[in-house]
Amino acid sequence: MTAMLEKGKISAVQMSFLLYAIVIGTVIISVPATIGKHAKNDLWLSPIWASLFGMIAVGVSIGLHRMFPRLTLIQSLSRIFGRIPGKLLGLAYLVFYLILNGHGIRLYADFIVGTALPSTPILVLMATMIFVASVAVYGGIEGIGRSSQVIVPLYVLTFLIIVLLLLPDAKPNRLFPMLENGIVPSLKGAVTPQGWFAETLLLSFILPCLSDSKKAMKWGLAAVLAVMTTLVLANLIILLLYGNNVSRYVYPLLSATRYISYAEFFENVEAALVAIWVLGNFIKFSIIQYAVVLGTAQWLELADYRPLVWPIGFVMLLIGFWSLPNQMVLTQYSSTVFPYYSLLFQTILPLFILFVAFLRIRASRGGPTSG
Amino acid sequence: MRKHGLSLSGIALMVSILFLGGCWDRSEINDMAIVTAAAIDKLDGQSIELTLQLFIPKALGGGSGSGGGAPSGGQQLTFVRSGKGLNIADAASKLQARLPRRIFWGHCKVFILGEAFAREGVKEEMDYLFRHPQPRERAFMFVSQGQAAEMLRPVPPLERYTAEVARELSEQKIGIRVTLKEFLEMLDGEGQAAALPYLRLQPPQKGEKKNQSVPFIAGTAVFKRDKMNGLLTMRTTRGALWLRKEIQKASITVRLQGTKREFITMTPIRQRIEIKPRIHDGQWIIHVHIHTVGDLVQNGTNLDPMNPDLLHLMEQAVQRSIADRVEEALDRLQRNLNADIIGFGESFHRAYPKPWRQARERWDELFPKVQVRMDIRVNIRRPGLGSVPAAVPSDEVKEK
Repeated sequence: MTAMLEKGKISAVQMSFLLYAIVIGTVIISVPATIGKHAKNDLWLSPIWASLFGMIAVGVSIGLHRMFPRLTLIQSLSRIFGRIPGKLLGLAYLVFYLILNGHGIRLYADFIVGTALPSTPILVLMATMIFVASVAVYGGIEGIGRSSQVIVPLYVLTFLIIVLLLLPDAKPNRLFPMLENGIVPSLKGAVTPQGWFAETLLLSFILPCLSDSKKAMKWGLAAVLAVMTTLVLANLIILLLYGNNVSRYVYPLLSATRYISYAEFFENVEAALVAIWVLGNFIKFSIIQYAVVLGTAQWLELADYRPLVWPIGFVMLLIGFWSLPNQMVLTQYSSTVFPYYSLLFQTILPLFILFVAFLRIRASRGGPTSG
Repeated sequence: MRKHGLSLSGIALMVSILFLGGCWDRSEINDMAIVTAAAIDKLDGQSIELTLQLFIPKALGGGSGSGGGAPSGGQQLTFVRSGKGLNIADAASKLQARLPRRIFWGHCKVFILGEAFAREGVKEEMDYLFRHPQPRERAFMFVSQGQAAEMLRPVPPLERYTAEVARELSEQKIGIRVTLKEFLEMLDGEGQAAALPYLRLQPPQKGEKKNQSVPFIAGTAVFKRDKMNGLLTMRTTRGALWLRKEIQKASITVRLQGTKREFITMTPIRQRIEIKPRIHDGQWIIHVHIHTVGDLVQNGTNLDPMNPDLLHLMEQAVQRSIADRVEEALDRLQRNLNADIIGFGESFHRAYPKPWRQARERWDELFPKVQVRMDIRVNIRRPGLGSVPAAVPSDEVKEK
């Protein structure tokens, strides 16, 4: 039995908040524009299709957890495929999430530079975010879980208030003609967010620390549904405000929030939106960095994961800073490469892993197992 | 654990060095030139002239306790500067070179396009306003008669500066009211036409200072694609407003049939307007249902409005008047300008997505042929405070 590197415990509700932040953090910033490009005025349907991939990822994580209750994905891979193949696959996953987080931080920093702080060097924004995330990771999962308990409700509340404030400018007839070109455009629109939803696979790194793992399924699915609802609402409000040319905007929800104006002085609400997006992304980047750091420590079979926090944070900074020449390339990457990259790593491979694990366990116990 | 704590604070110290350089995006209020309105003109068909109305903070800051109203002694709250360039961005940078403070677009609530510029096509320049992170999509758009820059120079007697006048006019919805976002939507919408309120300057009245002219809305500038190609008068604008479901605060004055010069006036309180598209035997039809409810505010006839039959006569007169206005607007828009600024294309797209897909390309030919059928109902609900007409001897009042 591998030693437990993490002694902290979090509750199922905190886990749910973490999952919510993992997916919504970056997806809500710019992905609605990509969805709108394909789905036009059916863009609000796409998150519903995409959420299916979130549910698969949650299901697979919990399935693996039931077979290997105290192991993360990285550890169980060695158990399932044997030492060498398991290690190789584990390394692939660590690299996948390392890159994912680096790019996520770049997306966040590009957003802040492009909208709020035009002359601040992007490196500073990325470094400060990685710095606070690293401090959080250093403190362990309990700290991240508790901060999510404070931040996520605030996030949801602010988002809902913004949607309410936009209602007077919404024109409901922009929903129509619904499904003008059939269901295909909305399915195409789901291709990109699907990759984000599947990030809930990170649940497999959180589950071993869960204090009440019986509720994992319920709260895991609740998180996926909450993300879906948030994204459907966001897409609806930008559709009703802008019509089917949402893809004209790089950050549709931010542009929509800038449109809020009441009584000539209640304006500039986007400052609140940017603030909660920074907070939400702090949770997102911390928990992914935590997963990579913990996974790497387990992969290397270290006694402690803390020595890895800063080096891995630094590597993420380099990935975000050096691997992309500009924001346009990142946007193109997120909509043409990442969805399929994610499909392989966060949907197809996990299902395959679960299947092999199931066969193995059945072979070793001589019968199907459950629970 | 102790060891880690030390290294952590060491890193924190090192990272904080990064910030000793100061904040890159620090911008104090006294480093900004706050734009209140911008005017865009085209000079000799080539260069763009950008004229900005800029706020003077110290003019407001001086006398505290004066209630923040207009400064005393005719001190101006704004000043106007222009810059020429190849496009707006270029003109703005030329203008910036001659300003001691940085141009700040965040509070610019009014954009005025010069008529000459509007007629040559606006799309290239709209991109700047859309792409730049500072200008707000909520800003109101106008087209001005002559040079747009001239709209920014006067000092109006009532409002603090002309930008406020223009904004208030838009908010009152006397004419059409269009924000930057809505203008962009119209330009790339299904109707392939756009409309902006048309501003003119009212010269100063007798006894006022020379620069006290005031902009007012004199109609609607109609754009075909991104080029202005015509003008609606105020009267046809109101007809178009009925079709756009934007009519507000109208008062309708009509002559009763069978009378010489005797008018009644009704102010509609609320109205329900429905636009229903239909395609019947290849004929594209729009059904317009208007139901409006209002009060009688002036009765110049000798008819007693308390009699339901006579009231009905008045209602019919108002109804005819609305129909006339709408038809006038339709005639001008369909036959004359061929510009769908009333959203017929949108309605057909929503109701008949498949036929629309083929018709979209030919909308220019189709739109003038769209048949409009009107169904207008008018209810005068209350007579105001008077029953029988005032100042009419009681034996002359016609009660039946």
